[in-house]
Amino acid sequence: MTTTDKPRHAIGLSMKRKEDPRFIRGRGRYVDDIVLPNMLHLALVHSPYPHARIKNIDSTAALAVPGVKAVLTGKDLEAAGLAWIPTFHGYDKQMVLAVGKVLYQYQEVAGVVAETREAAHDGAELVEVDYEPLDPVVDPFEARKDTIILRDDRENKTNHIYHWEVGAREETDKALAASDVHIKERIYFQRCHPAPLEPCGGIADMNPATGRLTIYMTSQAPHAHRTVVSLVTGIPEDKIHIISPDIGGGFGNKVPVYPGYVVAAVASVVLKVPVKWIETRTENLTTTGFARDYHMDVEIGADKDGKVTALKVGTVADHGAFDAAADPTKYPAGLFGIVTGSYDFPHAFTELDAYFTNKAPGGVAYRCSFRVTEASYAIERGMDLLAGRLGMDAVELRRRNFVGKDQFPYRSQLGFVYDSGDYHATLDKALEAIGYDTLRKEQAECRARGELMGIGISTFTEVVGAGPSKHFDIMGIKMFDSAEIRIHPTGSGIVRAGTRHQGQGHETTWAQIVAEELGLDPQNLIVEEGDTDTAPYGLGTYASRSTPVAGGALALASRKIREKARKIAAHVLEVAEDDVEWENYAFTVKGVPGKTITMKEVAFAAYTNPVPGTEPGLEATFYYDPPNMTFPNGAYIAVVSVDPETGETKVKRFVAVDDCGVVINPMIVEGQIHGGLTEGYAIAFMQEIRYDEGGNHMNTNFTEYLVPTAVETPVWETGSTVTPSPHHPIGAKGVGESPNVGSPAAFVNAVMDALSPLGITHLDMPLTREKVWRAIRDAKAAKAATA
Amino acid sequence: MNLHYSGQEIVPAPKAKVWAFISDPASVASCMPDVIETTVVDATHFETKVKIAVGPVRGSFTFKVALDPQPGGDRMNMTISGGGFGSVVDLTAGADIKDNGDGSTTLDWTGDASMRGPVATIGGRVLDAQAQRVISTTFANVKARVGATG
Repeated sequence: MTTTDKPRHAIGLSMKRKEDPRFIRGRGRYVDDIVLPNMLHLALVHSPYPHARIKNIDSTAALAVPGVKAVLTGKDLEAAGLAWIPTFHGYDKQMVLAVGKVLYQYQEVAGVVAETREAAHDGAELVEVDYEPLDPVVDPFEARKDTIILRDDRENKTNHIYHWEVGAREETDKALAASDVHIKERIYFQRCHPAPLEPCGGIADMNPATGRLTIYMTSQAPHAHRTVVSLVTGIPEDKIHIISPDIGGGFGNKVPVYPGYVVAAVASVVLKVPVKWIETRTENLTTTGFARDYHMDVEIGADKDGKVTALKVGTVADHGAFDAAADPTKYPAGLFGIVTGSYDFPHAFTELDAYFTNKAPGGVAYRCSFRVTEASYAIERGMDLLAGRLGMDAVELRRRNFVGKDQFPYRSQLGFVYDSGDYHATLDKALEAIGYDTLRKEQAECRARGELMGIGISTFTEVVGAGPSKHFDIMGIKMFDSAEIRIHPTGSGIVRAGTRHQGQGHETTWAQIVAEELGLDPQNLIVEEGDTDTAPYGLGTYASRSTPVAGGALALASRKIREKARKIAAHVLEVAEDDVEWENYAFTVKGVPGKTITMKEVAFAAYTNPVPGTEPGLEATFYYDPPNMTFPNGAYIAVVSVDPETGETKVKRFVAVDDCGVVINPMIVEGQIHGGLTEGYAIAFMQEIRYDEGGNHMNTNFTEYLVPTAVETPVWETGSTVTPSPHHPIGAKGVGESPNVGSPAAFVNAVMDALSPLGITHLDMPLTREKVWRAIRDAKAAKAATA
Repeated sequence: MNLHYSGQEIVPAPKAKVWAFISDPASVASCMPDVIETTVVDATHFETKVKIAVGPVRGSFTFKVALDPQPGGDRMNMTISGGGFGSVVDLTAGADIKDNGDGSTTLDWTGDASMRGPVATIGGRVLDAQAQRVISTTFANVKARVGATG
C-alpha cells in the first residue's frame, strides 16, 4: 500500500501498534478487570414479553437470597426522577427500568444488587413480575396502520415517529417517468448488531465524602456521556468523572447510554459503595443498540445508453420501542443523503418514515457514519439491477455515471459537497488487480458447464467526519474535536485527545501525526484518551470521525507548538525569527547550511532557556471545527461460486481498493479493512436479528447470531489510491468504516450475478445457504412450469 | 412462538371415573413427566416444578396450573403458565370427554402454547418435539393410571 511519493518522518510508516504488547500479553485493563473496595454487583431482570402491562413486582424472594443487598424497580427510579432518560439526540425519551408497561422482549424491569455477581443473578431469577400480556406489533408496516398504539406516554397517539425528506420530489418523479429504462426494487437492509466481543459494562462509584461520582464505562464518547449524566441527574459536571478504560470493540454499540449504567449509578448513590454492571452476551444482543433495519424502495431511471437520469428512494425504518437512533440532532436519518453514491444524478429525492415497534430500540451507526451503509447498499444494489435491465456490464454502467475527477468539489443533488476522489482510477486499479476481463471469460465457460459463478462490484462513496459545527451536534453539543499536546524537556511528550479508541490504534497513529508535524520520535509520544479529568473535551470515536476531526486537531495543535518552537529556536540560534525555517523536520537558518536545531533541543530550551518575556514550556491545545465532511471511497470486487445443490456460496476472491486520502499507518489501515470486510461478509451471509410473529428475539447468543471465524473468512486482497482531502490539515479522510459500508453490496451483487442465468435478480441479506437454495429451487421450478 | 397440538386418547375406563381423575389437581399433577415437586393450592389449582432440558436451556421451570371443569362434565379446560430462566410458557388446553358406551372414554384434546424468551429461540423443531413428548407422556400416564385404578 503506498501513501505519497515524498519520504516522511512518521506519517505513512507501518509502525507496529504501541498498544499491542499489552493486549497480546493479557495486560489490557478493561472495565471488568477493575475491582474496587466494597464493590457490589448489579444484575438486571428482563421482560419475557414484548408488550405487556406490569401489574406487580414482588422482590421478596430475591431479597432473601444470601448476599442480595437491594432490588431497584422503575418506581424507585421514578422517585429519583430517573425512570426515563432522553434518547441519543433528545427527540424522545426511553425507560431505564420499565414503568407501567414493557415495550420489547428483554426490556429491563428491575435491578438486583448483591455482594457477588452470582448472587445478583440468582436474585434476578427470583424477582416475580406479574405481567398482563398485550398484543405485540413487530412489523413496521403493521405499526404504521396505528391499530395498536405502542407509546401511550407520548402526546401524539401514533406509531409514526417522523418523516424526513431531501431533494426535489417533483423533478425526480418527472425525470423517472421520462426515462427510457426504469428499475424499482424493495431492498431490505436487515436488522443486525455490532456485537463487540466485550459487551457493555460499567462501575459507578459515588464517593459520599467528596460527593463525586466516578463512572468507569465502556464508552466511545466519555465527555458527551459526562455532560449527559450531568444534564439528566443535575449533578454538577465537575462532580462527574468518566473513565473509559480499554475497550474490546465498540462499532457504535458503545455510544448510547444504557439502563445498566444508570441503575448502577443510582445503586451506588443509594448504597454509598461502588456498583459494577457487566452485560451478558444475551443482554448485549437483545437490549443494546442494533443497527440498520431499513426497508428501502429504490427507483432509478436511465436513458437507453445507460446514463442515469434520476434516483428516488423511499424508506420505512424500524426504530423499535424508543427513538434511540444514534444520529446527529439535525439529521434524523443520519447521512442517508449520500444515497446518490459515486454517481452524477441530475435529479434525486429521498424520503424516510420511522415507526415504533415492539423491538429493542437502537439504530446505531454500526461501523458506519450514520446510515451511510444503508445508503451505499441501496445505490450499489440499484446500479446492478439497472445494469441487468439495460443488459450492460455493471462496470461499464458505473464508468458512464461516475462523478468525474474534474467535477470535485462536487455538489450532489441531495446537498453534500464531495471533497475529492478519482473514481475511475480506483475502479481501474481494482479491475486490474482482480483480472476482470479474464474473469468474465472464465465465467462464460462456467456458465456453459452449468456452474454458478458471479462477479460483484461495489464502487461506494462515504461521507464521514461529523462534523462542521454549523450542521452537526448531539443534543446541542457541536461535533468538533480536540487535542492537547505537552512536550517534555527531553523531547518526549504526552498527547491527549477527545476521542476514545476501541481497537483503531490511536495510541500509534496519533503519535505518528504529532511526530510528523514536530520531527519527534513517535515511540516517545504517549497517547492518552478516555479520562474526562485529563483529556480535552471531545465528542468521541464513531462514524469514522476520529482522523477527520481529532486528526485535524492533533495536526493543528502540533503546528501551534511548532510556531512557538520557532521563536525558541531563533532565540537559541541567536537569529531573527524570520530567518528560521522548518526543513527536514528541524529548524535551520536560511542561507546558513548546518546551522540547525532539532525539536528535541528546542524542547529542552523551552524549559531551560526560555525566550525572555514569553511563556516558558512547550504545549498547545487545539479545538478543530472541520470546514466540511470527508468522502472516502473505494472499489470492491467479489468473485463467488454458488453450489446449485446446496445454495452454499464460496467467496473465491475479494479485492478492495480504498481511497481514504493520506494514509497515516498503512498496516493499521490494512487491518481496519480486513476487520470491516469480515464484518461485511458476516452481514451479507450470516447475520440477522430476527423476531418471530410473537415478538420473540430469535438471535440471543452466538449460536444463533453467527460471527465468522478464521475458517469462514475469505482471503482479502487490498490496495489503495490516494486523493488527499483538500480541506483536511493532513489530507486524511478516515477509513475504519469503508469496508463495512462498501462490501455487503459487492457480496450480494456477486451472488446475484451468479444466479442471474436462473432469472433471479434480488434476494435480501443474509444470503444463507437455505435462502439461496430455496431461491434456486423455486427458479428452476418456475422455469420448468413455463417450459 | 406459537405452537398448536391436538390428539385423541381412548381411556379404558368409564366417563365418570375419567372425569373424577382429571378434575383432581393431585391426580393430574402426578401424570406430568419430570415433576420435581407439586403443591396443590385448592380444588382447581396447583403449582408444579418441572425439570426442563431443551437445548442449552436446562433447569427447572415452575408452572401454575388452573383446571376449569365445564358444567355438564363434558369438557375440561386447563391453563398452564410459568417458566424459568427468563422464559415464559403459556398453554391453554382443553379436552372434550365422550362416553363411548363400551366402558371406555375418548378424550379429544387440543392445546395452544406460546413460548417467549430464550426457550423460544431454540427453534420450533426442538421445542415441538419436547412439547409433544410432555403432552403424550401426560396422556399416556392418565390412560395408564385411570385404567390401573379400575
